[in-house]
Amino acid sequence: MVVSASFALAFSEVNIFGFVRGGDSPLGLTLGLDLEGGTHLVYKAMPDDGREPTKDDMEGLRNIIDKRVNEFGVSEASVQLLGGGVDSVPDRVLVQIPGQTGAAITLKFDADTVTPETLQAFFRNELGRPEAVVTRNENGSLMVQLDDIQGESEADEWRDAIISQYPVALQVGYVLPQADPPAVGEDDAEESKSDEETGTLPTLDEVRGAFASVGRSDAEVDAVDGAEGLFSILMYGIDVNTTDDSGSPVLGENQRIMAALREIGTVQYTESQGTLTQWTLGGGVQEAKNLIGKTAQLEFRYRECGDILAPSDDMPWPPNGLSQDEWVVERCSNPVYFTESATEIDAADLDDAFPDISGGAIPRPIVTLVFNEDGGKAFFNVTDRVSRQDDRLAIYLDGEELVAPSARAGITGGRAIIEGGSFTTERVRTIAIQLRSGALPVGLDLIQERNVDAVLGEDSLQKSLIAGGFGLIMLVVFMVAYYKVPGVIASIALVAYAVLLLGIFKMIPVTLTLSGAAAVILSLGFAVDANVLIAERTKEELRSGRSLLAAITAGFDRAWPSIRDGNVSTIIVAIVLFWFGDRFSTSVMQGFALTLAIGVLLSMFTAFFASRLLLRLIASTRIGDKPNWFVPVRDQTPPSAPTSGGVS
Amino acid sequence: MDIVSKRRIFLSISFVLVVISAVMLVSPSLNLGIDFTSGSTVTYQFADGNPGTEVVSDALTKSGHPEAIVQALGDDQYFIRTEDLGVYGLDAINEEVNKLDGGPAKVLDTSTVGASVAEDTVRNAITAVIVAVIFVMLYIMYAFRSVPNSYKYAFAAIVALAHDVLIVLGAFTVLGIAINAEVNAIFIVGILTVIGYSVNDTIVIFDRIRENVTLAPGRDFRATVNLSINESITRSVGTSLTTMTVILAILLFGGASLRDFMIVLLAGVIVGTYSSIFVAAQILVLWEGRRFLPWRRQIVST
Repeated sequence: MVVSASFALAFSEVNIFGFVRGGDSPLGLTLGLDLEGGTHLVYKAMPDDGREPTKDDMEGLRNIIDKRVNEFGVSEASVQLLGGGVDSVPDRVLVQIPGQTGAAITLKFDADTVTPETLQAFFRNELGRPEAVVTRNENGSLMVQLDDIQGESEADEWRDAIISQYPVALQVGYVLPQADPPAVGEDDAEESKSDEETGTLPTLDEVRGAFASVGRSDAEVDAVDGAEGLFSILMYGIDVNTTDDSGSPVLGENQRIMAALREIGTVQYTESQGTLTQWTLGGGVQEAKNLIGKTAQLEFRYRECGDILAPSDDMPWPPNGLSQDEWVVERCSNPVYFTESATEIDAADLDDAFPDISGGAIPRPIVTLVFNEDGGKAFFNVTDRVSRQDDRLAIYLDGEELVAPSARAGITGGRAIIEGGSFTTERVRTIAIQLRSGALPVGLDLIQERNVDAVLGEDSLQKSLIAGGFGLIMLVVFMVAYYKVPGVIASIALVAYAVLLLGIFKMIPVTLTLSGAAAVILSLGFAVDANVLIAERTKEELRSGRSLLAAITAGFDRAWPSIRDGNVSTIIVAIVLFWFGDRFSTSVMQGFALTLAIGVLLSMFTAFFASRLLLRLIASTRIGDKPNWFVPVRDQTPPSAPTSGGVS
Repeated sequence: MDIVSKRRIFLSISFVLVVISAVMLVSPSLNLGIDFTSGSTVTYQFADGNPGTEVVSDALTKSGHPEAIVQALGDDQYFIRTEDLGVYGLDAINEEVNKLDGGPAKVLDTSTVGASVAEDTVRNAITAVIVAVIFVMLYIMYAFRSVPNSYKYAFAAIVALAHDVLIVLGAFTVLGIAINAEVNAIFIVGILTVIGYSVNDTIVIFDRIRENVTLAPGRDFRATVNLSINESITRSVGTSLTTMTVILAILLFGGASLRDFMIVLLAGVIVGTYSSIFVAAQILVLWEGRRFLPWRRQIVST
């Protein structure tokens, strides 16, 4: 009794847990492309040098994309090559992935100057996105949710529109220079205002001139009343990009403004409000798109930083009036001062790449790289040189600088970590998968993105689902009418089984596809079978004159070996299929095998616990006084009837 | 019910069915669907409204392309995958599609398309099944170690399995001619399901034989098998009827996209149930009659 009670309790707990985990699809299950629609993406192959893609390029594309989607856990995605006509080389790749297209942009303004309401209004009224919903995250950043984004170019347009829409407020304060250093910054100042004597603060005109010198004469510069040397500036649209169109590092506009301001005097402090400091695309299938469409060309470049000591004695050093402290940073981060060259570290020498967490006080997501012997050697040589020259090793992914670390000594062992300022756990995983699967042989351009209906047709599936439900009700009616009390218990056990199975699918989570659904039907059949077996055996034991409780116990014991052996055989089949499916990456087989194994294990579990305990529980109530209720309709003979040949 | 004495009749029926199926399979009439071969894609845009996937699918069937996979793209477009259309194939489709409500339909794009399921999937599936079968045989030999010659049970179960798969394949070939059913990725799943069902069902019958052999080691083996079949036939029929209820419901009232799949499952359940009783168990009897292996000598307590 206690056991069954606690069992029932465990049931409801699992239940609740299973359904509390939210999701968009029915019951929060992840459904495959064949059962639920997804996103239809068409990419055009774009070889860098403008040549036509070859057949090998396209096969390579297909294999690598296939590998990437599979590793990402997007099961049952479909990757196919599209071509112009018969016998022509395909030039496009069709990828259908589960999950609706949709997008979320996370952005942050310096000092959180923009409210969600105004940004939402901006998206709805100015950018033509009436569905946009903007909310504020806990860290002050804003999240914009949209139905879809047509490629990154559209997002870039929005970004520019937002930058020019919202003002940036700057404050800059000057102090008189210290007496001792000889006039700094006079030699190299390109703009005229350099004839000021030391000992005066920059004037309003000089500050305006500084902005004009970087092409921002539109900035409204005002002197703050009553505070000499303090200016407030209001301007629209600061471009914080630190790479140009080809991805090479350049000074951001804010850095150039600061440099110009420094030229006219000694800056004591600056404060800015309203600069767009974060812009991340995500949500929907965004991460999957990142994963598929990026070439994933990993590059290691040697960065020779500016000289620490003056190249000749008569040069003022550090250059351009920078302080010693500023120079330490600038010499390796400002492209004006460093040069880069290729290294002998080749991304093809990567053995493995996996997501990781860095050590230290604040753990950050990183990617660990494992090189083969050649790569390890090259990596040591380069890091050794970096450490001795106090230079940097710059790491680029698809032309974007990820990180440019220094090294304290040459790194042996062929392992490297890369850490990027914008790394999130999701991004780190994507990069690791991309590096493992290798760089794409040709670049890809997303030319079509649309929501797509389920492969098996939504309306058709809807009908099948209703029909299946109807069939299940028939089954329950039949079981209750024919097997009576054991039939009722079998039905309860079936419901419990279904609930548990769905709960497990959700928790793992298993992507449910048609092949998975077939396995569910099969294991459901086994679950029914187990109950039928127990009911039949119990009937036989009753006929042989046992008391109800004893008959139930004996009946179960008799039925158990066949339930066990049948199910174990099926589990063996499932394991082998899964293993092969894995080796040959055939998701059709794997989906079936995994679902089947889970389903059959669970059907054994429900038969062993739910059916048996419920039967015993009910038999011990007043229903147990009517053993006839436990005997199927066809065998309606008095329990005292002579034993048939069954057990001799 | 004396089934064992009529074993030669049942085994002959099965043998004939298997031979017919094998012949059907060897002659190249099992159509490989577009999942495995390259084909064509057409994207239509409807000027006015949206006829619905099933309606478009029906139009494709009328135009001679029952194999077509139709997916709605967004609100007004349809993405269709068919077998290779060649140069003139599109005209027939255009004609039917333009009759639909919401037309005229504009062809936005046509392309050739590669296979969606790797070509070696079928071969891999077969290899996997053979390996699985070997492991299942080993398990049956272990699970039935309390009865003499447990390898015979393992072997008989696998013969029944091969029987089921062959007959389902053969039946599907006939259907392929009759209603143009095609082998696609779903079909593979159907066959895998039949394999799971067949093994499980056979083991339930064998379990009864194992139990009765252990209970009365001295009894004639034929009598034991006959008794075991009679004792478990209610359960066999009960289980297959309940399973068939669900399959039939989906087959009769469900959507067209699952029709072929449900036919495979239905055939599998019928043949799988039949073969456990009338093939697997009869092979045991047949084998027993051919060799002299006294039961009484070897009974050891479990």
